[in-house]
Amino acid sequence: MTRLLPLLVVAALLIVSCGGTSPDIAGIPDLPEATTADLVASIEAGQLPAVVNVWASWCGPCRSEAPLLSAAAGEFADRVTFIGLNVRDSQNRAKGFIVEFLDDAPIEHVFDRDGSTVADLGGTSGVPLTIFMNADGTVSKIHFGVIDERTLALEVDELVQAGA
Amino acid sequence: MEFTLLFAAAIGVGSGAIALRWEAARGNAADCAADLWDVLISGLVVGLFVGRLAAMVGAGINPLTSLGDILIIRGGVATGPATVAGLSTVAVLARGEIVAVADALAVAALATLGGWHLGCLARDACLGTPTDVPWAMAQAGSQVGRHPVELYAAALFLVAAPVLALYRKRHIATGVAASTALLIAAGGRLVTEPYRLSLSGGPVWWYGLGVVVALVGVVMASRRA
Repeated sequence: MTRLLPLLVVAALLIVSCGGTSPDIAGIPDLPEATTADLVASIEAGQLPAVVNVWASWCGPCRSEAPLLSAAAGEFADRVTFIGLNVRDSQNRAKGFIVEFLDDAPIEHVFDRDGSTVADLGGTSGVPLTIFMNADGTVSKIHFGVIDERTLALEVDELVQAGA
Repeated sequence: MEFTLLFAAAIGVGSGAIALRWEAARGNAADCAADLWDVLISGLVVGLFVGRLAAMVGAGINPLTSLGDILIIRGGVATGPATVAGLSTVAVLARGEIVAVADALAVAALATLGGWHLGCLARDACLGTPTDVPWAMAQAGSQVGRHPVELYAAALFLVAAPVLALYRKRHIATGVAASTALLIAAGGRLVTEPYRLSLSGGPVWWYGLGVVVALVGVVMASRRA
């Protein structure tokens, strides 16, 4: 029995993992398409610095950092605006990703079909990216790759201190 | 690829390897049959793996359906489960000589921790809360001075490692070196944590628990002597 225990645990985990269903995206509106000008205007209007996270539903690392971004968006909601910039994706897959990993997070998501907005802001074609923007819409810093908790907290603090 | 993180890990492992060689040359590991290098590396790898799995599960990500995500260490490693798994691995590999192996690894473990924190220089991740102290450091392009908190931790562990080695040479009570190393590791993280920036406040309960366990260990080992 002892020897079978690891096999039973793995089997149970597999059964649990296979039991999931596709996220229900019925009734969820499409993500608005945003040009660079729209994005900058939105940040200026909000009068708060912004963390723009560039993600895609086909990006595995984006899934890894989603819980952190979700928590951070809630934690810093009164000091920083969190924006999700979905790139080179389909509306349905993007909505499915949001329902599955970013539901209830105070993050405003926009759609960048060809990645041109990211390129305008100085980003690359790789995802994830996190762009830190001042309240006047200028880019403060770009973090390439998965962001960790300490780096996110530090860069948000830099934005807040710069705006104080 | 997360090369900066790998580089920082390499600095940590390299520091541990140097400490092990130094200790062996001083005859501090002569009474221990286990291959200390294997034990140290195994503890680190298993601890990292379990800590990553725990972080994924805690974040609601199923490791079985997202196998590739396990490699994304930057996505988070749960400190508590990683520590428990690492120490458990050391205990299993040490078999009948757990305390002797723990004592023999104590200095190398502190050196590894010190090297890992020093690796913040490669990761550009040394800074913490804002401060006006004369040794404050700022990010490139920033006017905000900050505590170089990871360098505080690195200095503490890298100074403590040789001091513990000297202490161990003179005080041979079994278990004291291992308990003292745990006390320094957990206590060091506990006192530097307020200078770090984080969302969650850091795993201070784990550090506090580590300090308590280590203090009990020091007292018990000293009484046995």
